[in-house]
Amino acid sequence: MSNIKLNVIDLEKSEYTGGKSSLCPGCGHDQISNVIIQAAWENGIPPEGIAKMSGIGCSSKTPAYFLGKSHGFNTVHGRMPSVTTGASMVNKSLAFIAVSGDGDTASIGIGQFVHAIRRNLDMVYIIENNGVYGLTKGQYSATVEKGSKKKKGTTNVQPPIDLCAMAINLGCSFVARSFSGSKKQLTSLIRAAMGHRGMAVIDIISPCVTFANNDESYKSYNYVKENDEVLHMLDYIPHFTPLEEVDIPEGEYDDIEMFDGSTLRLETLDENHDPSDAVSALSAIHKAEGENKHVTGLLYYDDSMETADEGLGLTETPLSALSESEMRPSEAELASINAAFRGA
Amino acid sequence: MERICNDFTINIATANGTGSQSANLIVLNSMFQMGVPVSGKNLFPSNISGLPTWFIIRASDRGYQAPGDKAHIQVLMNKDTWHKDLALIEPGTIVIYNEDAKLPVDRDDCPSYGMPMTKMARGINPKLARLMCNMYYVGALAHLLEIDATAIDESLKNQFKGKEKAIELNQRAISEGRAYAAENWEGPIPYCVEARDKNPDTFLVEGNEAVALGSIFGGVNMLSWYPITPSSSLAESIIDWLPKLREGDDGGATCAVIQAEDELAAAGMVIGAGWAGGRGMTCTSGPGISLMSEFIGLAYFAEVPGVIWDVNRVGPSTGLPTRTQQGDLSMLYEASHGDTQHIVLIPGTVDECFEYGWKVFDYAERFQTIVFGFSDLDLGMNNWSTAGFQYPDSPMDRGKVLRTQEEVEAIVNYGRYRDVDGDGIPYRTLPGSGLDPILYRGTGHDEDGIYSEDPDVYYATITRLRKKIDGARDLLPVPIIREEEEQQIGIVYYGSMENSITEIDDMLESTGLSVSTCRVRALPYHSEVEGFIERHDKVIILEINRDGQLYGILRKELPVHLLSRLHSVAYTDGIPPRARVYADKILETLEVTV
Repeated sequence: MSNIKLNVIDLEKSEYTGGKSSLCPGCGHDQISNVIIQAAWENGIPPEGIAKMSGIGCSSKTPAYFLGKSHGFNTVHGRMPSVTTGASMVNKSLAFIAVSGDGDTASIGIGQFVHAIRRNLDMVYIIENNGVYGLTKGQYSATVEKGSKKKKGTTNVQPPIDLCAMAINLGCSFVARSFSGSKKQLTSLIRAAMGHRGMAVIDIISPCVTFANNDESYKSYNYVKENDEVLHMLDYIPHFTPLEEVDIPEGEYDDIEMFDGSTLRLETLDENHDPSDAVSALSAIHKAEGENKHVTGLLYYDDSMETADEGLGLTETPLSALSESEMRPSEAELASINAAFRGA
Repeated sequence: MERICNDFTINIATANGTGSQSANLIVLNSMFQMGVPVSGKNLFPSNISGLPTWFIIRASDRGYQAPGDKAHIQVLMNKDTWHKDLALIEPGTIVIYNEDAKLPVDRDDCPSYGMPMTKMARGINPKLARLMCNMYYVGALAHLLEIDATAIDESLKNQFKGKEKAIELNQRAISEGRAYAAENWEGPIPYCVEARDKNPDTFLVEGNEAVALGSIFGGVNMLSWYPITPSSSLAESIIDWLPKLREGDDGGATCAVIQAEDELAAAGMVIGAGWAGGRGMTCTSGPGISLMSEFIGLAYFAEVPGVIWDVNRVGPSTGLPTRTQQGDLSMLYEASHGDTQHIVLIPGTVDECFEYGWKVFDYAERFQTIVFGFSDLDLGMNNWSTAGFQYPDSPMDRGKVLRTQEEVEAIVNYGRYRDVDGDGIPYRTLPGSGLDPILYRGTGHDEDGIYSEDPDVYYATITRLRKKIDGARDLLPVPIIREEEEQQIGIVYYGSMENSITEIDDMLESTGLSVSTCRVRALPYHSEVEGFIERHDKVIILEINRDGQLYGILRKELPVHLLSRLHSVAYTDGIPPRARVYADKILETLEVTV
């Protein structure tokens, strides 16, 4: 026997890797790609059952760099949610993992972001948020803090859009914020999001090392490290690991059971954060914002919402797998339609 | 008096939102029930209530379906257009009017018939008088034209299906109108209807409903749509029919319907559905196509099947939202930036609306691209006759999809975009299959789907795409050609112009011309279109737009030696094509005097 590690479905991690990244060395997005690979592998999701979706921008390039055995679609700018919606409707058995950026989501695609949440589309929606348009060389995005100043050029004078607060207000069923440099927290959140049924939004601060990594930028490595307001310690326990085999934390904790039977364990730090309380989630966000900090962790969670496909009452078989006889009504049915029109 | 049977036009001027459409359809349907060849055009405003509406009913034993050049009978119900409506009619036009409008009918040269319609309707039900007064002109027309009472009754019942109270009240209003006319008006008038042998199979249906049913028989799996006149009724008709026709074994739906946040999202959903292996469609009008154009380019370049129906209304911009035009053709054909070309199916009848409704999915999956259905407000929202929809005569074509590892391995050096068969159409695998996955992209890609900016790779890709779409020409619906022995003048036309072409043709031939016609039913145009043009010295390209959009396409693609015989006759004013207008323009173009 070799000492190669296999996951619960006997696959090596290499089955989950992708192509070589063409992003700048040190880019936060590459760290996130690695976490996605790790999370999918650890969760034991068959790669062929995953669909990778993205829009346009540096972040949206990353599906080429992870899960090479999965189909994917790098769509158009800001429109990934609608393509995912169509795909999800005809094949609801796919696990959709989508990557977008702050330009892609908070500006050009904000409408589609809003409506995908409103429908509670069953997908993981990752925003790799760095406050700038990297691919077009460093323009401000709509999530950048007011007063932010680039090395060159003007100061940003508009307030930022907080995508997590927005998602909570829209009734999103899973809302989290994390940091590309917080590997453990991020892995737990992405693993939990993969086990969630419904829309899981994870806003990940992911520093742009080329255009916005100056220390005064709120989305630089150093700034986030200094100003990360962690809500709780997170531990993800997959459904195939019996809970009783997991060490019980010393302090207080809450367990959240995910749709697939997995558990997300929230270990209380200073104060207990109840992720079922939208108001306290919003106040945590606003409080942190007032202090120029980033609050990270699972902000909000609600497992009671109907997903888009459930709401439509679709047949059990994915629609893409239906046979012709299930898709085309019979000749007799057409004859009766004609007869009804004739007034017979 | 010699009476003219089944050859006249009625113009009914009412206000929107007064229930006049029900009254108009009862007149239309009752004539249809009697076997009278009849057509109805609803000229309605972009408004819920109050603005002027005209309904034009044309009876014609010759089968002419265009709105007539003039009204033989004018019904006046709308105070706002009263004077203008009166000013437009020719001497001798029969005028039927609502006396309660208290407006003068100052046309001594026209026989006029007044009735206190509102007052009489109040006698039945004061609250509903505004709606019911329209039924009095139904009764009046029934009397004057001798429309069969049973046919009126049947049409009334059909119009208010199951609403017994409405049927009863309206029946009373129609009878009162008929009786009032019989007692108070001097007749007869020079026009009447005469029953004809009706093919018992025929019925009237709107093009949008025909497309909707066709789509359902085409196996649509996902309908995304955003409301827009005149395509909303297409989507709503699908929604109405789905529960009856498309339930799975477990009672669940086999087609997802999503009212999208905008047309961009609607198009994105279509592409998502097609990418995932389903049959996705949306329907819209010109403004929606403008918004969808970015996605249309993605589907073209990434080669994803999808169906978009454009029910054309008058552009540019918001234009005349409730009027008809063929102004979107060139936009559909080359929608989106860069070099693109799209397949467009162009029905000219409700039978074709149904047929292309299902066929369009086969073409989309065969050619792995967006395929448009191109209808318009006239065809889509007016009632047309059919002898019944024909069941699909071929099984579904799901295109080149590899569904097993063996199928993938049977292809040497498989790549998503490799042209294995030499027809420009590559093979695809579906998400979820685990078979040779790729990351689809709208960026440059090589034959394996890998990102590429290589000049040779790019050129090879766009050249193959051109070859792929060009290869569709002769697999698309053949043109309908009606050819004279003497091949003097040829008319090339398409879509809803079908409803006016017979009359235009007769008008031209009455001047001694020999006229053949060729109805184009798809783009890229079939080689038989070129053959038709080759056989005629002068060819008119006849269309309902300003610039001659098909003319432009033909000029671009036909061999140079044929170009000098092409003549564009294009005209648009929002109204369904009146034969006289287009015939005169053709004659003008041919420099022939009548």
